[in-house]
Order: sequence, then structure tokens, then C-alpha cells
Amino acid sequence: MTFECRDLERALAAPELLPEAREHARVCAACRRALWLWGELSNMAPGLREDWESPELWPRIRQALEAQQKAAKPRGIDWRLLAGIAAAILVAVSFLILAPFRPAPPARQDSDFLTEQTLKEVEQTETAYRASIDKLARLAEPRLTSSANPRTIADREKLLVLDSEISEVRSTVEHNRFNARLQTELAVLYREKQETLKEILHRAQQY
Amino acid sequence: MPLATAAGRRPFRHDAELIQASKRGDLSAFEEIHAVHAGRMKSIAFHMLGDRSDAEDAVQEAFLKIYRGVGAIQGDSALAPWIYRILLNCCYDIGRKRSRQAESPLETEPAIPNNLPLQIALRHALARIHPQHRLVFWLFEVEGLRHSEVAAILEIPEGTSKKWLFEAKRELKQLLTEVGP
Repeated sequence: MTFECRDLERALAAPELLPEAREHARVCAACRRALWLWGELSNMAPGLREDWESPELWPRIRQALEAQQKAAKPRGIDWRLLAGIAAAILVAVSFLILAPFRPAPPARQDSDFLTEQTLKEVEQTETAYRASIDKLARLAEPRLTSSANPRTIADREKLLVLDSEISEVRSTVEHNRFNARLQTELAVLYREKQETLKEILHRAQQY
Repeated sequence: MPLATAAGRRPFRHDAELIQASKRGDLSAFEEIHAVHAGRMKSIAFHMLGDRSDAEDAVQEAFLKIYRGVGAIQGDSALAPWIYRILLNCCYDIGRKRSRQAESPLETEPAIPNNLPLQIALRHALARIHPQHRLVFWLFEVEGLRHSEVAAILEIPEGTSKKWLFEAKRELKQLLTEVGP
């Protein structure tokens, strides 16, 4: 094979062709320069590294870590909280299981407004649902914080937006607890968050 | 798989020991991570953010995330790729916040003047190539990581790391040949 200028790109990708490329470069100034530049890129690159002293950086980090430790210490396992969550889940599950066997409500009221009893059930279900989503979020967190995968980064942003929407709707719900439309909106947002977290965990399992 | 440090120094403890100590909240473990990796972390963060103070903020934020997340990693996991992944995410976060305040200088880089010494021209050219290719070039050629390490950090196959490096060099060659000294 006679090496020509157009073969140079291929030679740069396949080192076995480099001897031929070098031979050709002896009589071709353009390829000689291109070959030299290719090598120079690797020679010059380490010179781009940024090194500077920052004696205050570790003390700053240490201080921040100590503050984190202090804030985390009193936590430990809160058995009362765990028992509360378990009870809430139990109530929610029994509500879901028994729901089909319940007698129909006596009189249909305005569908946008919930009765006190139904509201109580909705709130209990929401608490349990929220707790299970929080559990999912805790499972997904290492993946979310450590991944540089563009899809995971996009999911992280989506979750931030969902969290902000959830908190917005929840604060509106607090002022208007009997509004069924708001409760439905909240449930849709929770569902979306749950699906996103499940997808992240599913992807993590595939790796 | 502890990464070789820029100065060639290897960590005193193995990753598994460091992970265990970090999980216990032993600050000397974090100090060791800092001693081994902070130099390279700062350099990578500087490359991504273009500012030393922002780079140090990114490193500090990364350490807080490492502290919060270390409980979830397995004892036999490789610590370094995980640390650098966290750092890259912190850089993306800080970069996004900064770009909301002002346009990123990397996005508005002017054309390469044709009278620059090659190394300065290379710095200018780097700002103009594909960001993923640029990052692989930086990690491999500037920071001296191996393709297996770059692949682990970016969660890409090793072949992709090699391909992106080739593309980066091809783009750089193209840009630097156009201007010529």
C-alpha cells in the first residue's frame, strides 16, 4: 500500500500504520507537521495541570465535616419514629385492602371537597406513601449523588423540580385541606417521583 | 483500585480501610483522602470551572457529599472513581449556578489568535472542542489517569474513553493546524 496524506487520520487511530505514516512524513511537510502536533498534544498536556497551594482548604473542610457530625449525632435510630411510620403504613394498607368492601357513602357531596373522615384517611395514606417514597429516595441517593451519567443528572434535576412542586402543593393543601383536586394533584406528583426513583434504581441494578 | 497520585505517592491505607474509617466518621480518613486527592481534585475542578475559588468550593462540597454518601458504598468498592464522580457533579452544580448569574467564559471563548505559543493555543483550543471529549482529554492527558480509571469515573466503557480521547486530539489538531504558529 502506498501511504498518502488522506491515510494519516487512519494511521493516527491505528498505531500499526504509524511507521508508514512517519516514512511518508519524511517527504510531506503537512503530514510531518500533523504528526509532530499529534505527539506534542500529549507532551504539552501535563503542563496544563493547575497546581496551587491552599493551606486553608483542609481546615475549612474539616470544620464543615465536624459541623455535619455535630448535626448528625443526636439522631441515631428513633424507634418511636419507626414505630409511627410502621403504624401509618399498617393503617394505609388496611385502608387499601378494606376499601372495596366498604359501603358506598350515603350522600354524594361536592366532589371537590372531602369529608373529615375521608380526609383523615387520605392524609394517613399520604403519610405512608410519603414514607415509602422517602425510603426509595434514600436507596437511590448514593446513585444520584455519585453518578456522572447524563440521564441520572437529568433525573436528579427532575426530582428537585418535583420536590419543589410537592412542597408547593403541600403548603397549599395545608390551607385548603378539603380540596380533593389538590390532593389528587399531590398524589400525581408523588407517583411521578416514585416512578423516577424506581427507574434510577432499576438502571443502577443493570450496571 | 486506588488511583496513582500526581506525585506518584500511594495512599497509606487501602481503599477498604479508608472506606471503613470514613463510615465511622473518622476525620483522619478524610484528611488522608484530602492529602492524596485534593491536588488533582482542585486541578480538575479548575479545568471545569475556570476559577480557583470556585474549584476549592467544589472540592469542599465534594467532601461533604463523600461524608454523607460513604455509608452507602460497599467495602470493596473503588473509592477514587466515586470521589471524582462526586466532584464532577459538584462542578456541574456550581457551574450551573454560576451560569445563571453570568454567561460561562468557556461558552464564549473567542477564536484562537494565530500568534500564541503552542501551549497557550492548546488551552484556547481545548475550550472549543466537544465537552465530553475535552473532559476525557483532561483526565487522561493532563491528569495522567488510565483509560480504565477515566471510564470508571465517567461510567462509560473503556473503548468509549479511548474513542473520545482520539476525537479530542483530532479536534485539537484540526483547530491548531488551522491557525498554525
